[in-house]
Amino acid sequence: MFLEQLINGVTLGSIYAIVALGYTLVFGVLDIINMAHGEIFMFGAFVGMLLVSKAGVPLPVAFLGAIAVTGAMGFLLERAALRPLRSRPGASNLASLISTIGVSILLENAAHRIFGAGNHPFETPFAEIRFPVGPVNVYLVQVLILLISLLLMAGLALWLSRTRGGKALRATAEDLTTAGLLGVDTDRMITVTVVIASAMGGVAGVLIGMAFNYINNQIGLSMGLKGLAIIIFGGMGSVYGAMAGGLILGLSETFVVAYGSSGYRDAIAFVIIIGVLLVRPQGLFGQAAPGTGH
Amino acid sequence: MEWINPYHLQVASFVLINVILGTSIYVTLSTGQLSLGNAGFMSIGAYAAALLATKYALPIPVGVAAGALLAGAAGALVGIPSLRLSGVYLAIATLGFGEVIRAVAINWESLTGGAVGIAAIPQMGRVVLAGARDLGFSPASLGLKPNQFISLTVFLILLVAAVLTVAFFLRLGRSRVGRAYAAIRLDERAAEASGIPVTYYKVLAFSQGAMVSGLAGALYAHATSFISPADFTYHRAVEILVFAVFGGSGHILGPAFGAAFLTVVPEALRAISHYRYILYGVLVVLVVIYRPQGVIDPPLLRRMRGDRAAEAA
Repeated sequence: MFLEQLINGVTLGSIYAIVALGYTLVFGVLDIINMAHGEIFMFGAFVGMLLVSKAGVPLPVAFLGAIAVTGAMGFLLERAALRPLRSRPGASNLASLISTIGVSILLENAAHRIFGAGNHPFETPFAEIRFPVGPVNVYLVQVLILLISLLLMAGLALWLSRTRGGKALRATAEDLTTAGLLGVDTDRMITVTVVIASAMGGVAGVLIGMAFNYINNQIGLSMGLKGLAIIIFGGMGSVYGAMAGGLILGLSETFVVAYGSSGYRDAIAFVIIIGVLLVRPQGLFGQAAPGTGH
Repeated sequence: MEWINPYHLQVASFVLINVILGTSIYVTLSTGQLSLGNAGFMSIGAYAAALLATKYALPIPVGVAAGALLAGAAGALVGIPSLRLSGVYLAIATLGFGEVIRAVAINWESLTGGAVGIAAIPQMGRVVLAGARDLGFSPASLGLKPNQFISLTVFLILLVAAVLTVAFFLRLGRSRVGRAYAAIRLDERAAEASGIPVTYYKVLAFSQGAMVSGLAGALYAHATSFISPADFTYHRAVEILVFAVFGGSGHILGPAFGAAFLTVVPEALRAISHYRYILYGVLVVLVVIYRPQGVIDPPLLRRMRGDRAAEAA
């Protein structure tokens, strides 16, 4: 029982971590919270669902499809809702918070019009395959989710720390103006960041479909709110904080449901952030105190 | 009196409740704080009023006042610790507060009725009608059908509440408190340096905003006679925010205009009502980009008054 819950919690937590990474990358570079990230994640889930359950294509193709669509959405989001605000002097980061809320309202209701309000089954051909590991049964899907998440996180960490592009991104995150003066094409880096973050959201969308076997047009909101909770918890803009925070939230939700009450599952995230904001506002891995310097 | 249409009055009543909600976010915004917790405070007011009326049979005005005060107290409680936060952190913390309140409303079934909510809350129009009948009054003497009388009463009560709320904050804006709010919004550090107790005024604004949300919630409960946690979701908080962003948060008439416009237009244009929220989204992005101060701002108001000298000065 305990081990199975542990595995469930880690699986869920690794998906949360990927969603939170999408938020944290954008926040790290732009100092803004992309409130539309949850809805982009949801579109990734729907594209994956259409490709896997309706078109019957293999899973890797579904991932590529979701990445392509959500990446394009990220590009459009940056062009339509973020860039116009950047060129305007004196626009606060609340303005971009609000404009991305606008995009999220638009996307959520567009999904409602396109896909309807009900649950859509997300059928993977190997949903029932499981094998015993020691005393517990492990589903192949869980192993896959964990593997993909770990690969994605390792890839991102490597890209950020070892490549030229990653270095440029870190420089942009450190100081937009200085990076620009030193020859980094900051506008391009910002677009790249938003596109990568959105594509990660798309991957997470397909993963959540695999994990829960169904999706609906509400998952964007609930996952978006949890992603926000995680980056507050882990520290805004901190990549490792997002990973750790995702795992912790996944585990605590799983164990609260297993040993406590399921009704408060979705509130755990917010109890955590309210607590963290009051006790350690910079988050688990954060450094700068919030509200200063921005 | 055929022209008194209960449907139109109902739309007008929702406009007035939304005007009060728009005022609630304006008050906190007028100190530069963005709160996304107003749906949560609204639900505190609504549940308090509904429970006092259904479980303890208290008169409606007592329940409404208690609901507003309770929400205001909750606002002070949330506001004091939240002052360590600003900008996006405050927005997310208050958003989290709203979600926690909603989770409590769903799960505390013995008190709140859970996800089903509370039904059969005394409707203020019906209560007034019953009271008037006891005094020997019949709506027919005014040429009104009972349902016309009920809708009209609800509308008039809400009109009084909305006008008083807006008038109170208009007056407040010209007082010491309002000038302190404006100073804090413009530059918090400069305000502190000039001796304004910033903490006190920020908590006051936060609490006032919560109280007005609670008032709107309590009136909502007694106008619709049914509430459930689904009435106070994140979407409600965002809708309240949209009123202020679209209408403009630089003057109290901005959110009021936003609330009125965004409530009436989808009702009037039935064809677009399916796309209402999609249009909301587009509208928010366009306004933030092209008219960040919102539709209504002080220069526009001065122009409308024809006070060109003031503008030139």
